[in-house]
Amino acid sequence: MRLLIRRFDEKSYWQSFEVPVKRGMTVLDALFYVRENLDPTLAFRASCRMGICGSCAVKINGKPRLACETQISKFKKEIKVEPIDNFKVIRDLVTEFEGFFAKHKKVKPYLIAEADYENPVEWLQTPKELSRYYVFSLCIKCGACASVCPASATLNGYLGPAALVSAYRFNEDSRDNGKEERLKIVSDSVGVWRCHSAMECSEVCPKQIEPAKAIQLLRRSLLR
Amino acid sequence: MGILSWFKYRSPFGIAFMLQRITGVVLLLYLCLHLVYLTSLQSKELYESLTSLTVSKQFFVFDSLLILCGIFHGLNGLRIVVHELGFAHEKRKPILAVLVVLTILGWVLGSYILYTALGD
Repeated sequence: MRLLIRRFDEKSYWQSFEVPVKRGMTVLDALFYVRENLDPTLAFRASCRMGICGSCAVKINGKPRLACETQISKFKKEIKVEPIDNFKVIRDLVTEFEGFFAKHKKVKPYLIAEADYENPVEWLQTPKELSRYYVFSLCIKCGACASVCPASATLNGYLGPAALVSAYRFNEDSRDNGKEERLKIVSDSVGVWRCHSAMECSEVCPKQIEPAKAIQLLRRSLLR
Repeated sequence: MGILSWFKYRSPFGIAFMLQRITGVVLLLYLCLHLVYLTSLQSKELYESLTSLTVSKQFFVFDSLLILCGIFHGLNGLRIVVHELGFAHEKRKPILAVLVVLTILGWVLGSYILYTALGD
């Protein structure tokens, strides 16, 4: 199998590698093969190798995917691997995520609640209450959604789908009391109203979270 | 990152997003031209000479494309409104497919009506 990788080291260029295919082999395995056997200078991010950490999101044949969850057998002859769009490339397939996480932090992605640490009690939650936000809690912050979002592409400050999903997830949590704070943040000029409903984020999300839906539901909360 | 990055997405939804912008610009330009055209018609002779040129089978292709732009932009706008109200996100693929079918049907029907109205 031919692996075409878009390298970046001061300037961008394509480099081709021949990789032997084994059953069950993923694109991430192929990248490791290249680094271990053909070119030790190849830079890419990976950690869990099981679709949990979100580190290995790259553009594979034009679509953002997790390299660790993409089987090589899915493709016929050639696999094109590029860094994801809308992120500054640091080197090869490694992109800069500082801004992405700063936006995530901005929406206060944690429970805001009064807790008595002297006499701690369990915070109970019914399955129905859990189901209101559960799917949105599956976000692994891989950045695939932001890489295809036209609003993120044209406005650097836009919070982006991942941060807005987090805002919605915590707003819908029955244990949280920070809804008003978060709604104020997401209703800013770079918040939910910047979404153009292109729905590309929902199309590429490796966890099928439907970030576009979370954004529209946030808008609905704001209008109430 | 510029406005051209709006036109690089390849999923059906990205294409619909891209076409919504393009048809919007086309309709806006048409509206401006249409208003300029109408305000320039100051006499019956001028009106008749210009309409005989534009309301003709030579111009039918442009009129037909305008119908396509209008129908797509309107129907796709309704689809976006439904999704922006937070509804039917899980059914977005069949909704988009229905939209494409309705757009084609509306275009063919609208073009047929226009063509027959033009006469010989």
